[in-house]
Amino acid sequence: MSIMTTTKTMTMVQAITDGLRVMLNERSDTLLLGEDIGTNGGVFRATDGLQAEFGEDRVLDTPLSEAGFIGAAIGMAVNGFRPVAEVQFLGFIYPAYEQIMTHASRLRSRTLGHYTCPMVIRAPYGAGVRAPEIHSDSTEALFTHMPGIKVVCPSTPREAKGLLIAAIEDPDPVLFLEPMQCYRSTREEVPEGKYTVEIGKGRTVLEGDDVTVIAWGAMVKVAEEAAKKAGEKGISCEVLDMRTLSPLDKDLITESVQKTGRTVIVHEAHATGGVGNDVLAIINDFSFLFQKAPVERVTGFDTPVPYFGYEDYYLPDTGRVLEAIERAAAF
Amino acid sequence: MEVKLHDIGEGMTEATINAFLVGVGEQVRADQPLVEVQTDKMTAEIPAPANGIIKGFNVKEGDTIRVGETVLIMGSGKASTAAKRASSATAQKTRIMASPFTRKLAREAGIPLEKVRGSGPAGRIMDEDIHSHLQVEPPPQETPVRTEADSIPFRGRRKQIASKMVRSVRTIPHCTHFEEIDVTELLAWKRDVPDVSMGAFFIKALSICLKEFPIFNGRLDEEQECVHLQHAHHIGVAVDTEEGLIVPVIRHVEEKTLKDIQKELKALTNKALNQTLTVKEASGGTFTVSNVGPLGGSIGATPIINEPEVALISFHKTKKRPMVNESDEIVIRSMMNVSMSFDHRVADGGTAVRFTNRLRDFIEKPGILLMEMI
Repeated sequence: MSIMTTTKTMTMVQAITDGLRVMLNERSDTLLLGEDIGTNGGVFRATDGLQAEFGEDRVLDTPLSEAGFIGAAIGMAVNGFRPVAEVQFLGFIYPAYEQIMTHASRLRSRTLGHYTCPMVIRAPYGAGVRAPEIHSDSTEALFTHMPGIKVVCPSTPREAKGLLIAAIEDPDPVLFLEPMQCYRSTREEVPEGKYTVEIGKGRTVLEGDDVTVIAWGAMVKVAEEAAKKAGEKGISCEVLDMRTLSPLDKDLITESVQKTGRTVIVHEAHATGGVGNDVLAIINDFSFLFQKAPVERVTGFDTPVPYFGYEDYYLPDTGRVLEAIERAAAF
Repeated sequence: MEVKLHDIGEGMTEATINAFLVGVGEQVRADQPLVEVQTDKMTAEIPAPANGIIKGFNVKEGDTIRVGETVLIMGSGKASTAAKRASSATAQKTRIMASPFTRKLAREAGIPLEKVRGSGPAGRIMDEDIHSHLQVEPPPQETPVRTEADSIPFRGRRKQIASKMVRSVRTIPHCTHFEEIDVTELLAWKRDVPDVSMGAFFIKALSICLKEFPIFNGRLDEEQECVHLQHAHHIGVAVDTEEGLIVPVIRHVEEKTLKDIQKELKALTNKALNQTLTVKEASGGTFTVSNVGPLGGSIGATPIINEPEVALISFHKTKKRPMVNESDEIVIRSMMNVSMSFDHRVADGGTAVRFTNRLRDFIEKPGILLMEMI
């Protein structure tokens, strides 16, 4: 591992390209595959220039078949490679769902630990970029239910690169969710070279004493803005970025909600069966007697993500989160 | 099923009921503590032998009962559904609104929520209500009833100490021998080793004396008509606690360095003060030391032997006194008195004097002790 001394300003998508480049250089077993990721550089240009740099043997264009190339990636992983597959949008992953749930997630237990499946599936997801139907789904909960697969979701460029490198190095399959809204919306100083951000550990974005606001992906920024506004009204909020949705960082959640006794969970996925419910269960399991108010959830509605004209009504925004913070604080 | 007082430590014959930890009708799980008892050596909890319901108590708090006596009766099975329904019906009548955290606050402060007036929406009890309730109504304190004389309980540990003392004085012909020791040199020597206390030094010196005079580390067995001279020096240290005299034991002093002894002395004294000694830590001594010097005042005493040991030594307060030296000059020296009680059945005054003389040599000239330790 090189020692990082310099940083470079990057967007999240640039940070992801940089992370892929670092690993293609670092490990000869790393391969990229997906639809149009070669010459075209992928639908969001996350693999831009990598085929020219590393060749067609390392960066593979595949036919339009999610089940096919995810299945191929599983085969590669079992045979000693570290494939990183790109699904164009999370909403397009369902043809490969059987491959992921039945094979990738179970290889370790099925072979009693003789084989693991060290692969990463990168999937842009979430609303807020005015994409057509199905392109904006946040269906992370469909994957967190299954043991054997990790689900990671960065919120900033710096986090994205470190988590992606950790995901590629992980011996088990990782679904790497890239919030589309964050791809080009912010720039950040990102360390050059190789570094990792530990999978399974969340981070405290803001420290506070009155209310804990728990979010991930694009919602971290919304939570942060709402927390700042609440601060102007005298409510001190602690904002947590979960970073990994499976496994959830129980310790971080517990430590914070026991301090504040009031919690607001924010995610853009539907409320029913959402990952927020698992966060709630952790609070109930470990911190029931510390609760001063019912846990609030600010989520997308239980409808398909609407066409772009109504998208803003669907997504949790600063106003909705702020209202929930105020309700929790005033209870 | 009868839950009986069983022997929870070596030599225990009886115990006092300190408190019941469960109520009649309560559903208990196996191993759940039912009652707290106090023996002469420790406080312990008696756990439930199985799952069941508490049917009733055979004794009251404060009673002293013998091993084998029944403490309480337990029934098997679960609380009846009728009882459960009844209790939930009562709960509904007096429904109290408070968040889990407020409930926790109230529980910790010992405030029943029924007594708190809620100031929140729909009469919900808020944290502030608990705080203000605490200020308005301080927890009830027992006001002592004025009578001709105040009485204090004479049971539990105090009673155990009493019966032990009586037994010791009745069975052992005590003889106490006094000596004065010049500790000026030792105090000077100790300045270089501030981490070692005088107590630790005395205990080490005693252990070496016991090697030379094993009779004082003996145990009289009248039936077998012999005195067992024990090789291990398990030295008990009398600690003055709020609950009375407790004697934790430093085991195998003969194998330990001054530093080891100091460390153990400190740890055991703290445990004695905090009432956390285990039975093993407070029993099995072969010789006892009572260091009353730190309390001040005392220049002599006739300590009662910690039966079945043979002897006990007390160290009293060190004081500067004018003394006559070998050149017939009057010099100021730091002097300490010691009192040694011994069992006159097994040892005589001469042996006791020779024992304390040897001890005096070690304390007056710490270098001599060094020779024995290397």
